[in-house]
Amino acid sequence: MVLSQKLLNCSLRLLKSSRPVQAQFNGISSANYYRCFGISAVNRSERRFTAKHEWVTVANGIATVGISHYAQDSLGDVVFAQLPDVGANIKQNEECGALESVKAASEVYSPVSGTVTEKNTAVEDSPGLINSSCYDKGWLFKVKLIQPAELEELMDEKKYEEFLKSDSH
Amino acid sequence: MLNMATRIVQGGFSKGQFALIPMRLQKCNTGPQVNGARNYSSSSSNDMTDNNSNDLKGVTDDSIKKSVFISQSYDVFTNLALEDWLYKNFDFSHHHLLMLWANDPCVVIGRHQNPFIEANVSNLMRKGITLARRNSGGGAVYHDRGNLNCTFFTPRERYNRKYNLNIITRALFREWGIKSDISDRDDIVISGKKISGTAAKLGQPNAYHHCTLLVNSNKLHLSDALAKDEVNIISKATSSVRSPIKNLCDVNRAVNVPQLLSAIGYEFLRTSATELEDGGRDQAMKQRGFQLINPTEKWFPGLTEIREMFASWDWRLGKTPKFTVQKELEMKAEDKEHKVLLSLDVEKGIITNITLTLPTNDVVPVVSNLLNQPYTEDSLHGMMDALKLVPSSDMKQAMSGL
Repeated sequence: MVLSQKLLNCSLRLLKSSRPVQAQFNGISSANYYRCFGISAVNRSERRFTAKHEWVTVANGIATVGISHYAQDSLGDVVFAQLPDVGANIKQNEECGALESVKAASEVYSPVSGTVTEKNTAVEDSPGLINSSCYDKGWLFKVKLIQPAELEELMDEKKYEEFLKSDSH
Repeated sequence: MLNMATRIVQGGFSKGQFALIPMRLQKCNTGPQVNGARNYSSSSSNDMTDNNSNDLKGVTDDSIKKSVFISQSYDVFTNLALEDWLYKNFDFSHHHLLMLWANDPCVVIGRHQNPFIEANVSNLMRKGITLARRNSGGGAVYHDRGNLNCTFFTPRERYNRKYNLNIITRALFREWGIKSDISDRDDIVISGKKISGTAAKLGQPNAYHHCTLLVNSNKLHLSDALAKDEVNIISKATSSVRSPIKNLCDVNRAVNVPQLLSAIGYEFLRTSATELEDGGRDQAMKQRGFQLINPTEKWFPGLTEIREMFASWDWRLGKTPKFTVQKELEMKAEDKEHKVLLSLDVEKGIITNITLTLPTNDVVPVVSNLLNQPYTEDSLHGMMDALKLVPSSDMKQAMSGL
């Protein structure tokens, strides 16, 4: 608990420090914006996690979202995936879909804000992909980021593993 | 038990209990704090956000109070709205809640189910049985006043289905000596027959687990309500696992809904918050007890809007995962019977495409005023009847023209 509190403080500091920098970007064209973002603390291909067990990877300003191995394991066999529609505007930490496993419907929260560009129709057809391949074929939807700085609040893989060990979630 | 019954608060909430106002709403208010609200907030008075779990770790069973809410409504949409309101707005970190409720005749399907697979929707409408879609997963159930519903609310971290089901089986044993088992599907069964079905909704920060309990439901109505139309439906929707059922009154004639309601409520109150430890009367007396709830907008601001959502066509039928209905028809042409396949695509409850597949495997689009209309069994049968009236000369033409 102490550890996660520290992590939180740490990420809060990161957030604070990133804000003024981001303000400067607002006047610059979006191409520059993403280039600047690319060299920031977040490695573009790195997988990041939320405390609600969603993961996100980013390429060219498009985030791919899924749920973690821990999440799929605790859900059990997923029998239905309800994903956000393409074109939907979603906000960070807001409910944007649901996964139904045997007898429980679990809400899916978006780890980032933006517009949905694609949903994984393969997962809609075979929800079991979420269990068998949660980081690859079992991705859920893609989002065009509007606030890339949100990613910095999320945990990297190492921190997420520590979070899993330290917390009762 | 008598003592508990006398603790029932009449007429909904008194002012002090208006603490039920959601913490989120309070934060928006700049006005004075509602009296007593602090009792329900978490000790750290933090937001109910991501780090809720950290706050929960130090919470001991002794510091968690329990209440039993008895809904005074028999309207399924109102009860589903009350359940959803509590799920969205209540802070359960120091207060666990059991909501007990019953409905007038209705069929309640799971969040991602297809009502046309689970029941005959047109038939339900004719019989005056309400169709409702709940927010949790799982299968379709029939409710009437002979069926008691129990909703157990906790923070997501303390969601524990086995604990809840054990409260019920213990209550049955303590009150009537009835022995029941919990199946691997988390149904409660007596000699292999199901008396209770379970479903759950997991979110952040809250979760609930609810289940039905058949006391003296009308079994004829139940099987009639859950009989579906004889068509082939192709769908990804969650399907129900149909199981043989039993009423508790057929196990023991003394069982009735009011007594079962107080037996389960009392068992819940006398058991400690996260462990199945019986604390007897002393433990029960420490709790907040039974409260009769009148689910109105006045006590639960925003409830009407949630109720309207549950009662809307858009939610009940429009949320149906897309599906295709197929029915094989026999048509006469050149004095021979030809089997053709009528196929309807339905998206968001609306018929988007109608085709006939001919014996030659050619697919012909059907032009009908049913296109872009809501799908029902009656509209399908109307269409089948109309197709039977198609003159054989037209059929012949259709066959030869392709």
